[in-house]
Parts: sequence; C-alpha cells; structure tokens
Amino acid sequence: MRNFLTIIFLIPLAVHPQSSSFDFHSPENIKKFADHLFCEGDYLRAIEQYELINENLDNDTIKFKVMLGYSELGFFSESNDFFRGINDKSIFYPDAYFLSFKNQLISEPGLIIAPSINSFNSFQMKSFSKLTNISMLYEDKFNISRENFTAPFDAEELNSVSTFFDHKVEPPYKSPALAGLLSAVIPGSGKMYVGEWGDGITALVVTSLFAFLAYDNFRTDHTTRAWIFTGLGAFFYAGNIYGSVASAQIFNARIDFDFNNGLELFLKQQNYFLPEYDFCE
Amino acid sequence: MENLKWRKADISYEKQIHFSKRDFSFESENAGEFITKSLANAYWFFISDVDGDNCPFRPTCSAFLLQSAKETNIFQASLMFFDRFTRDMNIAKGHDHYPRVSAGYYYDPPQNYTLNQGRIKYLPPAFIVDDE
Amino acid sequence: MIKVLEICYKGIRFSSHKNHFQFCLPYTFIPLYLYTLLLIISSSAEIHSQTEIEKQFNYAKKLYDEEKYFDAVTEFKRLLFFYDGDIYSYESNLLTGLSYKNGAKFSEAIQHFTLAGLNSKNIDEVFIARLEIIKVNILRRTIGRALALLDSLQNDSKFTRNADEINYWRGWSYIFSDDWENASLSFSTIEPKHPLALLCDSLAHDLYDPTLAKTLSIIPGAGQFYTGEYVSGFLSIGWNVLWGYLTINAFMEDRVFDGLMVGSLLWWRFYTGNIQNAEKFALEKNLEKSNSALRYLQNYYIGKKP
Repeated sequence: MRNFLTIIFLIPLAVHPQSSSFDFHSPENIKKFADHLFCEGDYLRAIEQYELINENLDNDTIKFKVMLGYSELGFFSESNDFFRGINDKSIFYPDAYFLSFKNQLISEPGLIIAPSINSFNSFQMKSFSKLTNISMLYEDKFNISRENFTAPFDAEELNSVSTFFDHKVEPPYKSPALAGLLSAVIPGSGKMYVGEWGDGITALVVTSLFAFLAYDNFRTDHTTRAWIFTGLGAFFYAGNIYGSVASAQIFNARIDFDFNNGLELFLKQQNYFLPEYDFCE
Repeated sequence: MENLKWRKADISYEKQIHFSKRDFSFESENAGEFITKSLANAYWFFISDVDGDNCPFRPTCSAFLLQSAKETNIFQASLMFFDRFTRDMNIAKGHDHYPRVSAGYYYDPPQNYTLNQGRIKYLPPAFIVDDE
Repeated sequence: MIKVLEICYKGIRFSSHKNHFQFCLPYTFIPLYLYTLLLIISSSAEIHSQTEIEKQFNYAKKLYDEEKYFDAVTEFKRLLFFYDGDIYSYESNLLTGLSYKNGAKFSEAIQHFTLAGLNSKNIDEVFIARLEIIKVNILRRTIGRALALLDSLQNDSKFTRNADEINYWRGWSYIFSDDWENASLSFSTIEPKHPLALLCDSLAHDLYDPTLAKTLSIIPGAGQFYTGEYVSGFLSIGWNVLWGYLTINAFMEDRVFDGLMVGSLLWWRFYTGNIQNAEKFALEKNLEKSNSALRYLQNYYIGKKP
C-alpha cells in the first residue's frame, strides 16, 4: 500500500522534468529536425542543419545525405565539392563516388574517365559500365563496337541504347554543301531538301517572278526597270543559296539538340543508373 | 550556404511592358554600318512605325539586317536579309519551326545564320524566349 | 527534529501516549508539504519549458522582423516540428506564410496560410488567414481565384461584420486586373469618398478607350491625335493621301493593274496600319498610366496593401 501510494505521488514529479529543459538546438534535436526536413524534400534547410552538427557527429550517412541534397537541388558543383570531403573508408563512399558522376554528367556532359573502384558492389559495377558507355556518346570521337557498347545494358534499356548508338555512328544530318548546290541549280530546292517546304516553294516563286519580270522588261526595252528586277532577283537567288546552307546547318543543330535531349531524358528516367535511396521510412 | 538561400523578393505591382522601343541612335563603328543604321532609322520613322504590325519575327526584318551587318559584313548581311525576307513571305511559316518571344512573335536571331555552326543556338518551337 | 519524527511516525502505529496525536499532528503533514514543494519546483520547470518554446518563437519572430525570411521559415518549422501544443501553431504558420510571400514563394505561402486557418483559435484568425490567401492571389494576379475566395467570404454569415474589409480587397483585386471602374465601385461601397475610390475613378476617366481610338482612325490620323501622337498622325495622313491619290488616279486613267497593286499593297497596308497604330498607342499609354498608378500605390499609399 505504501509503495503504491509512493508511486502514485511520484508520477507527476517524474513526468515534469522530462519536458523541463527541452533544447531546440541540441545536436540530437537538430539532427531529428534535419532528417524531417530532408524527408519533406526541403533539402537546403536540411543541409544547413546537418552542416551545423556535422563536426559533432561526423556521420557518414549525414555526409552522403548532404551531398545527395545538393545534387537534388541542382547545385552539382557544391555536391561534388562536398564529395571530396567524404572519406573513402565510408560505407557510402561508393554511392557518393557514383553520385559524383551524375553531377558531372549533368553539369558538364562529357566522357567519364575516372576508374571503377574495388568497393563497388555488383549493382554499382554494372551501373558504372552503363554510365561510362553512355558518356562516350558525348564525345566527338566514337569508336566502339555495337556489342561492346550495348553489353552492360538490360533488356528494357536495349532499345533506347541501340537507337543512341545508331544515331551516333550515322547521324541523320543533311549536307549544307548539297543544300547550297541544289538551290543553285533550282532555287528553293535546297530548302526543300532540308525539309523547309514552304520556304523552298516561296523562294522558287519569288526568284522565278523576278526573273520573269526582268526578262519581260528587257523584252519590252524597259531597261532601267529590267535591271532593277535583275538585281533584286539576283539577291533573292543568292540569298536563297546562302539560306539553304544556313538551313541545313540549323537542321543539323536541331538533330544534335534532339539527340542530347533524348539522351538526357533517358538518363533522367534511369536516374543515371543510381539506386533509389530511402532515408525516410 | 548563405548565397544559396532565397532572399526577400522585389515584388512589383507593375505590369510588365512587352512593347519594344526602337533604338534610333546613329551609333556605328564604320561607314557601312552608319549607312545601314541611317536607312533603318528613316525606314522605322517614316514607314515601319506607321504601316502597322507586319513583321511576325523578332528581331524585325530591319533590325535583323542591322544586327547581321554588325555580326558579319554588309555583303553577307544582305544575303542573310534576303533569305529572311523570303522566309517572311512564306505564308505557311512557322508554327512548328521557330521558338517565340513572350509577346508571341517568332524568335529568329541572326546568330543562327552566320554559317558558323558553332554559333547556332537551336531552340525548339515550343520554347519561349525571355528577351528579344 | 529527527527524534521527534521518529517518535511520531512510530507512534502513529504503536503509541500509548495520550497527547501523542495532538503533538504529532503537524508532523504527519510533513510528507505532504514536501510533496507540494516538489510539485511547485517541478511546475516551475514546466514554466521554464514554456519559456523555451516562447524563446524559440521569439527567435523565429525576430528573424522575420529582420527580414531574414529564409531563416525565419527554418525556425518556425523547427518550432512546429517539436511543439504539438496549439498556442503558437496559428501564428507560426501565419508568419511562415508571410515569410514565403515576401520571398515571392507564393504557393508555399498559400499552403501555410491554409495551415494557419486550420490551426486558428477563433473566427477572427480564420478571417485573417483567408485574407492572406486572397492577398497572395491578388499579388500574383490570379484575380479569378481572389474574387472567388472573396465571394465565399461574403456569402459566409460568420463574416457579415467584415463586409467592409471584403469590399476593400475586392477593390484591390480589380485594381490588379486593370478594372479601375469596378475597383472604384468596390471602394465606394465602403465609403462614397474613399480615397482609393477617388483614385481609381480618376484613373478610369484618364485612360484612353482603345475601341474609340480604332473607330476614330477610320479617318486616318484621327485616332493618333486622340492619343496625342501628332507626328504619327500626320505621317498617317500623308501616306494615306499619297497612296489614296495614286490608287484613285490609276483607276481614273484606266491603269487597273497599277491601281490594284498600289491599292492593295500600299494604301491598304498604311490604312490598316493606321488603325492598328491608334489602338497600339491607346494600349501603350494606358499601360503606362496604370503602371504609374500602381507604382504610386506600392510606394506612397498608406493603408493596407496586398
């Protein structure tokens, strides 16, 4: 009975001290708060909080999360700067190493020349081969057989990857010289060759019209007018040859643009062959 | 960290103005440019500003000619101009060809036509350019 | 003392002394005293913890007052994450929303104003939170949304006494949608000579009518004169007289082809251009006028602003 009473009396006393000295800014609470922010997708705030306690906790997970957060925010160089501070003994080192390639490919697309590392697991090793192969597509020099290029990829990726390979080996460019030449022979035909049918037909009509007007005026001895029409016609004719070459170049720029866009989209869909990290249950 | 954070924004009540103002100055680096600029000024003042909104492109055809002359030389610029003029006369131009500026005109800068492949900045038709 | 306690506590059960009860009575309450004392101390610790929360709130508020809005949001979020009471939820969410608004993060702002509304303690707070949502919609020019929200406030019998304020913000909504006449009407329902009603009214009278400008331009140049663009007006007259003369002259001399060409390619171009121009001037000048009014309202008007 006495013990029971003691317990009853002590309960209120035991509850109070727990909340008595709550510290919003203690390292543990900062970490809890930062984890919450990270899971909410509020990465910049999460990183700021992690950086406040980083030295106290020296935690590999936190370091990796900061790097990941910067990358998610699109601050790729900050993310890679942070990577340099991650110890290669850390359990997250392979992931961080891999993430640094993603950052690099997004910020300055180009060939990945870094070596693979022993601590890669089999998934990472495979992803690494995929990513290095894909990164070759960004280089002007492309010298690899189809078998070697497509080897690391899974069945569902193979379709896209072969398309990229074909495009890289034989890009569907149009020749600027041919476009110019065609337009020199038949005005507007160079534009049509490039696919600009409307512009091509317009050029043909306009040049023919001025040629006819010039001819007609020479025939009827209106020499001054005839020469004006000849001059204008000549400029339209030459301008069209020039424009056909330019159009072919723009067409090729479009091909490159679409290729790079498709590549970027593919990599985004595959999340650059990175695994899904789940720090929030 | 500090400079990655967003700050107090300058929120203006005013509406954005899309009307472009002409640059009527005679500033030029050589005689050829002075002549084209003077012609363009006269054309803008006496004709272009009073004959309605006829040019579907930005820069307008006359501004295109001026910028081309700055980029290249008077001869190449005139070829570029005649090509642009032909494209302007094409009645079926554009909807899946040129990107646009925010006011709805086709964006077609001379940089894409200097025959220097490296200078071409391709933008897809759906793209809306911020400035002219 | 200990001796006394010993006697008393043992005595309660084993006593034979007749004055024992009287003597010991005060001492039986000693544990109760002690307990009460401890309770007081510990609840002062509770007060202490209250001040921690208050301190955190004040810290966040201070950052807000210093216009460090990003950091203010962080600290309010920290408070709300650890604190599940309801004293600060409304204010913290409201101030988080205001911070986001000041950083032009409008959708985040609306999200937190909505949370503030859900955590409000009385009807006034609900009203304030909902007004803030309306103000954000005005500021980002989603006026349709702002007006719909104002309608729902107006139709709610709980807010009947806030009718003036609802009309005030309706006025601002119209200002931001360039509808100065309706803005003036809304302000004048509060008070016929409301300063904003007068301002909107005078601007509405000052603006050009683009349709009138276009209609006047049936006579070339007239629309330009109406908008004060005399040079352009004279140029339009000049061109139209010239091309009109050449066209008519060509037809008079039976040069039908020349007449058609000059008429369609030149006269028509300058005639329609003249109409387009008159409308363009009216719109341009109206935009300049309404922008200068908006500039004045933003920088010099003293009163509630979105």
